[in-house]
Amino acid sequence: MTPRIRRLAVPVLTASLLALATACGSGGGSPATEASAKPGEKIKLSVGLFGDFGFKPLYEEYKKTHPNIEVVEAVTQFNDHHNNLVKRLATNAGAGDVEAVEVGYVSTFTSQPGKFVDLKQYGLDKRQGDYLDWKWQQGLSKDGQQLLGLGTDVGGLAMCYRKDLFKKAGLPSGRTEVSALWPTWEQYIETGKKFGAAKVADAKFVDSPGEIFRAMVNQAPVGLYDAQDKIIVDSNPDVKKAWDLSNQLTQEGLTAKLAAFTPPWNTGFAKGSFATIICPAWMTGFIQEQAKDASGKWDIATVPGGSGNSGGSHLMVPKQSKHPKEAAELIDFLTSKENQAKVFKEEGTFPSIPALYDDPSIQNFTKPFFGDAPIGKIYSDAAKALKPQHLGPKEADVRVAIGNGLGRVEQGKQTPEEAWAQVLQDVQKIR
Amino acid sequence: MSTLPLSVPTRRRRRSVRHTLDVRVSPYAYVAPFFLLFCAFGLFPLIYTAWVSLHDWTLLSEEHTFVGAKNFQTLLADGYFWNATFNTLSIGVLSTVPQLLLAVWLAHLLNRRLRFQTLLRISMLLPNVTSVVAVVVIFSQLFGRDFGLINWVLSWFGIGNIDWAAGTATSHIALAVMIMWRWTGYNALIFLAAMQAVPRELYEAATLDGASSFTQLRRITIPMIRPTIIFVVIVSTIGAMQIIAEPLLFGQSSGAGGGAASGGPDRQYQTLALFVYEQGFTKFDFGYASAASWLMFLVVVAVAGINFLISRRVKGGTT
Amino acid sequence: MRLRYLTLIAVAFFSAFPLYYSVVVASRHNSALAEVPPPLLPGGNFLANVSRVFDTVPFGLALLNSVIVAGSIAVAVMFFSTLAGFAFAKLRFRGRNAMLVITVATMMVPAQLGIIPLYLLMVKLEWTGTDYALIVPALVNAFGVFFMTQYLTRALPDELLEAGRVDGCTTWGLFWHVVLPAARPAAAVLGMLTFMSAWNDYFWPLVVLNPDNPTVQVALSTLASGYVNDYVLGLAGTAVGVLPLVAVFALFGRQIIGGIMQGAVKG
Repeated sequence: MTPRIRRLAVPVLTASLLALATACGSGGGSPATEASAKPGEKIKLSVGLFGDFGFKPLYEEYKKTHPNIEVVEAVTQFNDHHNNLVKRLATNAGAGDVEAVEVGYVSTFTSQPGKFVDLKQYGLDKRQGDYLDWKWQQGLSKDGQQLLGLGTDVGGLAMCYRKDLFKKAGLPSGRTEVSALWPTWEQYIETGKKFGAAKVADAKFVDSPGEIFRAMVNQAPVGLYDAQDKIIVDSNPDVKKAWDLSNQLTQEGLTAKLAAFTPPWNTGFAKGSFATIICPAWMTGFIQEQAKDASGKWDIATVPGGSGNSGGSHLMVPKQSKHPKEAAELIDFLTSKENQAKVFKEEGTFPSIPALYDDPSIQNFTKPFFGDAPIGKIYSDAAKALKPQHLGPKEADVRVAIGNGLGRVEQGKQTPEEAWAQVLQDVQKIR
Repeated sequence: MSTLPLSVPTRRRRRSVRHTLDVRVSPYAYVAPFFLLFCAFGLFPLIYTAWVSLHDWTLLSEEHTFVGAKNFQTLLADGYFWNATFNTLSIGVLSTVPQLLLAVWLAHLLNRRLRFQTLLRISMLLPNVTSVVAVVVIFSQLFGRDFGLINWVLSWFGIGNIDWAAGTATSHIALAVMIMWRWTGYNALIFLAAMQAVPRELYEAATLDGASSFTQLRRITIPMIRPTIIFVVIVSTIGAMQIIAEPLLFGQSSGAGGGAASGGPDRQYQTLALFVYEQGFTKFDFGYASAASWLMFLVVVAVAGINFLISRRVKGGTT
Repeated sequence: MRLRYLTLIAVAFFSAFPLYYSVVVASRHNSALAEVPPPLLPGGNFLANVSRVFDTVPFGLALLNSVIVAGSIAVAVMFFSTLAGFAFAKLRFRGRNAMLVITVATMMVPAQLGIIPLYLLMVKLEWTGTDYALIVPALVNAFGVFFMTQYLTRALPDELLEAGRVDGCTTWGLFWHVVLPAARPAAAVLGMLTFMSAWNDYFWPLVVLNPDNPTVQVALSTLASGYVNDYVLGLAGTAVGVLPLVAVFALFGRQIIGGIMQGAVKG
């Protein structure tokens, strides 16, 4: 009887038995990240990121001076990355040696100083002089005693726009003239109305109100939290004003209803579905990547409403890292002045080191994709004018609640008043 | 295996004792692997979750204060929880009912000698080969508002661009289609496997009596494969009650915006499992999430129980 | 008869189309998605996109991990489920019905419910980041046990077992010589379905594995990562991730399906 079993089950069985045999082999040997290295032995550092930070060429370079260090990059989706990091810190297992943390989450993590390595131990406080002061402060623990993260980039604001669509709508298209159109957000909306009235086929004025709202709040002296880490969405007039202006865009029919960072939004870039988009420095990299065929059509103007910061990240070393010293050294390298400049030229993420802002190689840097716009100068000016804003521990959650509210209005489910009431309720539940 | 010694028939004295031992003990040994594994990786987490649900327990703080039933009280008053319950039932019905009817019918069609039968059968399982990630990515594209294939086809009939992800009904339909696409062939194959066990002679006799194909399906096949039908109904119900990956990924890949875990800005397609995920893994409120998973567990039990009773009755009625 | 074929071909078409379409998209550039009418024929970028996949994530390692995990789970589930199904379907023992009900009831436990305690357990066992964390909890499941129980109840004639007993078989001998052969068709289906669901499992691997040692699904989610989701890259990865399963199908599909066809009670 056994041969009969064999005849039928053999294909499946053998395939999987073979696999089973190898399972034990590789399963046993695979926890490579945790292998404790003896001096001189190969060390593998894992770097957890949530997007392309443009670090890959830097690892190669690092290997030349540190032949025993191998860097492995692990990239996860934005939300998953931060959520997983929280989980891994709480369970003290699974985190990388270096973890990137976006500004919306940085306060979440700096409020858990016990989970991260104090980089002062490895002498990284020597870098303080390099940094924008507020960016440096963001990387400190609550009490300011410990250095938990070193900044990578800052997201100084600008406004990107499609020259060709502006021309079609009969608007000026040079970057100085366009900048002159909208010193304030109200004037930006007025320009939008003109654009809408021109009825440019298949194109709206802006992608969606979400990122605009974020920019407007970031321009205010105080944002979603006060200095005591209390959520002040309900009482801060600047937040309400940003909300009203964002919804005005929706109600005037100026948005393409394409929420940022979704695939249809990417497609919208390629298709030219919107004429303007809020443009923190890192956004330029995405536009270039997504709208490959639109080279020369995009340009960059100043942002309405003054300077502000959107986005940017820090690199941190979780305490569970087996190689904190090497990880700290790697961070020092990845965030060095030279390397931040290099990454900017490739990826568009703008340095958090002010000494670079007047460096001729940055000041004179232009991108052909954006019609040779002087992006070095534009973002240097934006970064220099930045006023720091205090960020709270649940910044990201509050933002999601408000983003959902804007979405409900955009999808026609609620009036702005109804949506605002629900936002306030949702925000109240965040703790 | 602990049962191995029993398997070697020594055929010496005391055979009857050995035999009694074999018959008495071996069944327990055979079901033991399942129960042991379940205790370690199913029951323990379940009990632990119940413990957590009675606490004010967030992942971010080391302190866990006992709060009794507070989480449950809050939950019962939480409109978002009931919204998620409604969505789960709605998507569950929309996906499961047509799916199972179609699956039985497909299995019936396949339960014949056919040309290219292997090819046809394999093709039924193709969707199940595809991962959730891929299914949602593909279907989000197909259901795209501006450039989706489905809206393009609908435009031939003069139907304007539908924003599938935005509406409650439309998003439920889109998700139900994804689930149906993935699981109909799978269930058809399970039905088909059961149908193989139905004696051919019954069909031959029925054909001689002039019974139509549909009558044969109703009168012979369905009664004969009843245990399998009940099984599939229950498994599908449970599966439908726990849908999470589809709405989560749909939120990430459609242009709806907001947090992916909220199932659309208006929570229009947030299921119960996704609600639990949102509380537990984006807000890290484990106490609340654990309470929600326990209530969700009760909902699943209730719905599965009702379906069990119905599927038993209905089949009894048609014969 | 013609209607039967037409229906089945239509269903086959709808089953295959989304996969085909994903290959179409995977062989083009992101901007092709915005074309109206949408492209329906593959473009020329497939290999370039696939190599982009391998550049972006450790996809070879992911494939290997998935094969190991899904293969081990499938074999174990087939074996243990048939064993338990045999006991529930054909053996008499105290508490049988209660245990069967409990087994079915365990299926109602929402899988997400236990993820955190399970994760803590894996941390204790030092299995996080390894394939063990995926394999061991999945060695046998209620679905498989119930599936085999239902199947064996109907498809395995009691006379066969009695004949075996008369021939002096022990229970284990019966299992080996009578039950396993009779269970083949259902076990093959179960094995295949298990393989596929293990292959496609998404949440648990995402939680418990580290991205430097991923399974295919974890790697796929990485592909659609960062601030930007890249459809083309994601679908190219999907296509490559599906290939091994399609290969299993192409090689063994006939036998598996044939196993179902042979009929169970003709032993």
